[in-house]
Amino acid sequence: MLRYVASRLPSALVVLVVASILIFGLLRLVPGDPATTLAGPDASPEALAAIRSALGLDRPVWEQYLHWLGSLFTGDLGRSYLIGGSIADLVLGGLLNTVVLATAAVLLAVVIALVVGVGAVLTRSRWVDALVTGANTVALALPTFVSGVLLVLVFAVALPILPSGGVPPLGFAARPDITAQYLVLPAICLGLPVAGSITRFLVESLRTELAQPYVLTARALGVPRRRIVLFQALPAALPSMLTALGIQVGSVLGGAVLVEAIFTWPGLGSLVEQGISRRDYPVVQVLLLLSVAVFVLVQLLTDVAHAALDPRIRIGGSV
Amino acid sequence: MTRSRLRTATPVDRRTFVRALGLGTLVAGLAAGGLTGCASAVGEQKAGAAGGTAVRGGSLSLAGRTDLVPGNFFTTSSDGVTTVVGLVYDSLIRYPNDKVEPRPRLATAWTLAPDGLSLSLDLRPDVTFHGRNGAAGRPFTSKDVEFSLRTYADPRWSAQLRSTAAAITGFDTSDPHRITLSFAHPLSNLYDLLDTVPIVDSESLDALGRGESFVGTGPFRFESWTPNSRLTFVRNDHYWIPDRPYLDKVDFTVVTDPQAALSGLRSGQYDVVGGLAYRDIQTIGGTSGFHTVTLDGAELQTYVGANVNAPGLSDPRVRQAIAYAVDRQRIVDEVLRGSGYVVNLPWPKYSPAYDETRNSTFTRDLAKAKALLAEVGPLPEIPYNFQANDPVHQATAQIVQANLAEAGLTVTLAPLESVQFTKQLIGAQFPGIWTTYHSWAQYTPANLTVSAYPFNAQKNASNYVSPAYQKAADDAWKLPAANAPGARAAYDALNDQLLEGLFLIEIGVVLRQWAAADRAQGVGWTKRCEVDLTGAYRAV
Repeated sequence: MLRYVASRLPSALVVLVVASILIFGLLRLVPGDPATTLAGPDASPEALAAIRSALGLDRPVWEQYLHWLGSLFTGDLGRSYLIGGSIADLVLGGLLNTVVLATAAVLLAVVIALVVGVGAVLTRSRWVDALVTGANTVALALPTFVSGVLLVLVFAVALPILPSGGVPPLGFAARPDITAQYLVLPAICLGLPVAGSITRFLVESLRTELAQPYVLTARALGVPRRRIVLFQALPAALPSMLTALGIQVGSVLGGAVLVEAIFTWPGLGSLVEQGISRRDYPVVQVLLLLSVAVFVLVQLLTDVAHAALDPRIRIGGSV
Repeated sequence: MTRSRLRTATPVDRRTFVRALGLGTLVAGLAAGGLTGCASAVGEQKAGAAGGTAVRGGSLSLAGRTDLVPGNFFTTSSDGVTTVVGLVYDSLIRYPNDKVEPRPRLATAWTLAPDGLSLSLDLRPDVTFHGRNGAAGRPFTSKDVEFSLRTYADPRWSAQLRSTAAAITGFDTSDPHRITLSFAHPLSNLYDLLDTVPIVDSESLDALGRGESFVGTGPFRFESWTPNSRLTFVRNDHYWIPDRPYLDKVDFTVVTDPQAALSGLRSGQYDVVGGLAYRDIQTIGGTSGFHTVTLDGAELQTYVGANVNAPGLSDPRVRQAIAYAVDRQRIVDEVLRGSGYVVNLPWPKYSPAYDETRNSTFTRDLAKAKALLAEVGPLPEIPYNFQANDPVHQATAQIVQANLAEAGLTVTLAPLESVQFTKQLIGAQFPGIWTTYHSWAQYTPANLTVSAYPFNAQKNASNYVSPAYQKAADDAWKLPAANAPGARAAYDALNDQLLEGLFLIEIGVVLRQWAAADRAQGVGWTKRCEVDLTGAYRAV
């Protein structure tokens, strides 16, 4: 297994280095810079030039890139031009919020997928199939900025039973009951498309598994269908769902930008959005590179989990 | 038998599935009920109902679109900054909202020398800075005034009135409760500076620059800042106004999406919300339990700027044609929903420079606009820039485009992202015309030409250079006071130059608005849109 993991590390490193160059270069291509935000609309061109010089933005781009990369290697993520604080602190604060939200969304999606997917296969009813397919399509097609606004309008404005946004004032751990209420709407909004996607994968995988000869043998031996689905087909179908879930983590991180804006959830998404709109280069660079790193890591972990669940992959891959 | 066992091997039929689904829904409902039943986050947010009696205690929750940027502390350019400055700091004097006449604040009295070259201010002796853990901090003295004015003049902070602060050449602080300022030349906008500069603590300025600490003498102490999320403030128990403020705590939340802010206000999560579209403010203002706060005195102006070096726009007749073609009243009625009024010159009605006659120079007259354009001959298509994320500018640009098309001038809408727009504004790089807001006309008239870059007589976004305009701006700035003898003539000359040059074609004065729940009472503001909650309370 270790050799299997090691064989995937070099490509992961190459992806990270290429991503760092692209992120740094593309940000510089976007018109405007942080000096413009700091100077404000009433600043003179001279004041703008002075700020740009103070931030080191008048130095060659390659020099700025190497300086940034050097700082990263020494563990210094830098300081935000606009917020003023350490980026490490900013990222840690936002990361906790995003991790909580993303975890809740993914857990919700997995639970929905398992219940709906297994339920749909067990019932073998055409109208249940149609219902599940329709629901999946809606969940996938409904943009988060629509579902989010609808959820807020129904549960926070029309039936004011849940907060319209924000995080618990006293933190996540102090009042779990309050925390859950703040989490419900953004987690549903972020988790719905993921649920739709992995449910579809799970249903298809289960049906594929149910057509396998071992299922026919089991049925011939009189094993109940429910038992076959839950204890034989489901474990065999899970790797496919897991792969789909791994890919969906990227969507979750991307979707978090919008969901965090709709629900005023101060996570990494809103930090990226604010950073880009105000051209806070150091913050955006670190966050985008972090997103790439998380995505690469999740893919790596997915491969490992896949290999652990399915020996054929492990054997074919390295042993 | 086998057959029978196989039949029992398909136990989940439609009925069972529906039952399971129903059970699941019930469990989810019970869970939701449990969540919302044992302790309601919504209930905790809404504590305190509408009413009318001022009471001590409680808190208010504010929401704004833009977070604090410590490097912009002296530029009042974001909601976070205006909230911190308004709650944590005091100024030496304060203009009432509808006048440009100084009223005592940290300075109790002042005397301006007859030649306008020095000003003595008596300072309150009973003021202290915020201390640690709610204790009173060190006393406020004349040294703090000197430090604050010198800091404001530091180019590092890009403050709008920096040139006025830099014209202060001497500080006599021998008496801790009296300061005498000397000037390089008379400054007619001197009181604007004293109204604007927050008195900052010299011992924590570095921490202020890093966004770690904000220490002032204001009604609330800064408690914490979570970037991109929230600012919290607590009552200053040692405030120099007895029994004020009423509130114990104030929260400010950054809500970048106006619809999310509106939902938060409706659901009781926020008490006062800024940055909403005028249409939404009008709607919620007419809803039971909510009201609108119109920020009289903190006016902005919306205008069409012209790069006088751009093809077609170098001819003043084209700029006059634009001024005649624009339907200002329609913009005020439809875009601002009546929250403003039409102007030709930048001044609000209470300004000493306001002139009803000159302000009516360009009323909508399509025939005149067409005649002027016919005199000029064929013109190229003119690009029209505005900030894409601002619904007011977006709608204004569309109306202006249609107006100009009626007059025979074709303009192409070219929306820009906010930072890019600001970069082009500062760099005077617009290829044609543009629309945005400007400020500072709500102060002493001379302030505009030395503080707002689009009007700067020396260098501006329109590339407009005119010795006559420079002289008029300089004459107005060097008046000993805003209402000194000869001021009217100076303002008339300045107005004539603005109407003649027409590099900025004014559309209207914009009255900013906040939407508030009725439980939030007594909410005030300064001319820079800083929130003032000294007399605010949560009605019970």
